[in-house]
Amino acid sequence: MNKEIGINQLKRRDFLKAGLVFGAGAAGLAAGYAAVPDAFARAVYAAKQNGMANDNMLVMIQLAGGNDGLRTLVPLTDPTLHDLRPKLAAPMVSQALPLNKDYGLNHNLAGIKGLWDKGKVAIVQGVGYPNPTFSHFESIRIWETGDPTRRQVDGWLGRTLAKAYDSNGHPLTGCACGATDVPGALRDLQATMTVIQNQKTFGFTGGSEVEAAVGALYKGTPGIYGALFDTAIATANDTIATLRTSSAGYEPMADYTDKVQLVYSSKNQLAAALQLAAELIVTGTGVKLLHVTLGGFDTHYTELNRHDDLMRYLDSAVSSFYKDLAAHGKADKVLIATWSEFGRRPKENASGGTDHGAAAPLLLIGDPVKSGLYGAEPSLTNLDATGNMKYAVDFRSVYQEILGGHLGADSNEILGGSYDRIPFLAAPVAV
Amino acid sequence: MQNMTRSSRASGTDWASPLGRESAQIMQLLRRTTFGYTPAQLDSALSAGYSRTVDRLIETRPQEPPALAGASAPGGRFAVPQLQQWWVDHMLTTSTPFAERMTLFWHGHFTSDYRKVADNTFMYWQNLTWRRMGLTNLRSMLMQVTTDPAMLRYLDLATSTGQSPNENYSRELMELFTMGAGNYSEDDVRQSAKALAGWQLPPPDSIATVTVDQAKMVTRKLPVYSTQRSGVLNPRRAYKGAVTYLGHTGTLDTQGVIDRILAQPATAAFIASRVAEHFVTSQPESSYITKLADAFRRSRYDMKTLMRALLTSPEFTADASYRALLKSPAEFMVHGARALETNGLGKLIASAGSGMGQSLFDPPDVGGWPNNAAWISSNTVVERVNYVTLALSQVKGSLPSAADAARTHLDGVLSAQTANLLNQAADERTRWFITLASPEFQLK
Repeated sequence: MNKEIGINQLKRRDFLKAGLVFGAGAAGLAAGYAAVPDAFARAVYAAKQNGMANDNMLVMIQLAGGNDGLRTLVPLTDPTLHDLRPKLAAPMVSQALPLNKDYGLNHNLAGIKGLWDKGKVAIVQGVGYPNPTFSHFESIRIWETGDPTRRQVDGWLGRTLAKAYDSNGHPLTGCACGATDVPGALRDLQATMTVIQNQKTFGFTGGSEVEAAVGALYKGTPGIYGALFDTAIATANDTIATLRTSSAGYEPMADYTDKVQLVYSSKNQLAAALQLAAELIVTGTGVKLLHVTLGGFDTHYTELNRHDDLMRYLDSAVSSFYKDLAAHGKADKVLIATWSEFGRRPKENASGGTDHGAAAPLLLIGDPVKSGLYGAEPSLTNLDATGNMKYAVDFRSVYQEILGGHLGADSNEILGGSYDRIPFLAAPVAV
Repeated sequence: MQNMTRSSRASGTDWASPLGRESAQIMQLLRRTTFGYTPAQLDSALSAGYSRTVDRLIETRPQEPPALAGASAPGGRFAVPQLQQWWVDHMLTTSTPFAERMTLFWHGHFTSDYRKVADNTFMYWQNLTWRRMGLTNLRSMLMQVTTDPAMLRYLDLATSTGQSPNENYSRELMELFTMGAGNYSEDDVRQSAKALAGWQLPPPDSIATVTVDQAKMVTRKLPVYSTQRSGVLNPRRAYKGAVTYLGHTGTLDTQGVIDRILAQPATAAFIASRVAEHFVTSQPESSYITKLADAFRRSRYDMKTLMRALLTSPEFTADASYRALLKSPAEFMVHGARALETNGLGKLIASAGSGMGQSLFDPPDVGGWPNNAAWISSNTVVERVNYVTLALSQVKGSLPSAADAARTHLDGVLSAQTANLLNQAADERTRWFITLASPEFQLK
């Protein structure tokens, strides 16, 4: 397995060395933003002139490891489920929060069920792609790049940054929150994005003197990693400058907590990551595309408690995030979407868990959605040769609606084709 | 490597490779196979020469770390930072640092994380195992990793039965540990899941009743082990029938599965790619992999043969390989401490890795850690610089002279910016800061 960024592509980034980033670095950023005082004018300002010009934002939540779709959106009346999952089915069906007579949400998704009741949740069922792979890494890459043929190396959100926004000098246009590395979905060597693990500690120990020295040290760095290094340092400096202002202008209007009981502790602080996302959104930093991750969904073993705990964690973090955005009057601009590399096998294994699966539902949350169930219910009796559910909706149909309908970007250019429409948005932007 | 050469030329500002000189080759060798060096350690390698240094790296028996006192706690319930610092302290002081580099390589390859394993004694044992076995034979290593208690937990083989197999270990054994995706079918995953089933955790020597919550008087019965152990096969949980696996039909035990895997040419090529990406270049050419894989397979999967072929290959010291790799956070930090000639930064190093993307015993996922370019982001570069600042503030007493640091640690090959800032630096501390925070020092 090779998790490298394509080094041979680095030369494409040489234009950054010509001074685009550094010319419009910390000083340029300050000058540019100061000239556009209104917070939301900044977001528009970051959009390309000939591209779109709306101030909508996207938050993608990765449920890493392969989220069990059948325990997320639970089929309530299908007897086959109990045959396939003698241990797991009964408790999840009896406790589910019904959405209609056939389906209910996991019992720990009470906050999201509340948003459903207010018309703010769309669920697309049976999402997948042809000839599914059951490798985490291959499937993650397919979802990240939007390319099941595995030729594309740039992420779908990275390409969106590169094609639809002017991210140079506006590194917060794309941001991975609560992470240390660039998620594959945001990766594109022609785009600038930032990665912030923790906004409270993000910055140089030793302050502006160190910041200046490092800024001078990483300029025109030679070698194959030179452009990556220089861009990372310039981006960090711009981000530090932006966070300095944004943290002062943000007061959370919801309780975010990562003190949750999990069967084993999480690497990701989902609530803290979403609180950072809220700060960036609320303070008008020009952020457009945000990515956060919650891991632990690879539930081969003792799935009952582990998945329930993860659902509760997801529910509390997302509920707080929505509440915070709404209290700040920003909920109408933000679409929240979950994704996971695959669902899980309908048949449970001996360990009280489930192995890697295929098609699964996606959650779309926020004021921009038109509430309801979309796609097609996956059949538990007509499984494929690997014992997995067949997909009904190509995942790129969901991307297409997000890109075109929510962000107003040219989805055809970014995805390299068009797909069946899934009309889960209340008022899609005309492209 | 062609791609790298081209892109370097395109930028027009590359560092001039000094690798025509044996001394520079030796410094690169040490940067890639150890955790850095003090001036005295460098001098000793320089006087031995390249080829004898390779011999010494490969043939010296790994120095064992001191036993970790807390590791006998019932149920492995001791603090993870203790385990992390124990390893970092050994990286800082060991006389056989290549064994530690190989241990780190295998920790990322046959990876496990303490969260799911939920028994830090098992994590400790796994670390001891890769130090002892890291330069032995892939066949014995594969048998060992399959029955390693931490791995039995991490990839669920401990709960897999022939009647209802769990595919987790079966899949990753082929995808991540040996052959790579695309060299087996989904049916092979299911078949070897059956053939591998039946392993269980080793039975403990005794059971201790431990109060886990004083306030609520909650007690738990936890296993106690007096010595390091491997998993045991429970024939009643194993699969009895025949399987068709990688083109062979018949009854198959775990050794049989491993031998089928070793019979596939993809296995030698996959392991060769992994070590080449880790030690030589981010994008090895296929002819290079073939050459390494052939030597590896001919030796019946002897790791010393593979590593010797790699370290003595022309590719390892080619100009195109100069600064072609990025130090992982652990390497970068321990290199820094060795350059500062201090052993006292273990606690800082053990905790500072997480912001750079590398927390020991806690890999991001079952694929272990990435290499090279994936270590660079806005978050990680800031954290690398912050480590240098903190390390310099924590060194006890006076800093060693930085007069020779650029020559000793950066080959004297500097970018215009690094050279300028070093010239302008007013004091020793600033010179060390520039040296260790420089792009040159991040590379190897």
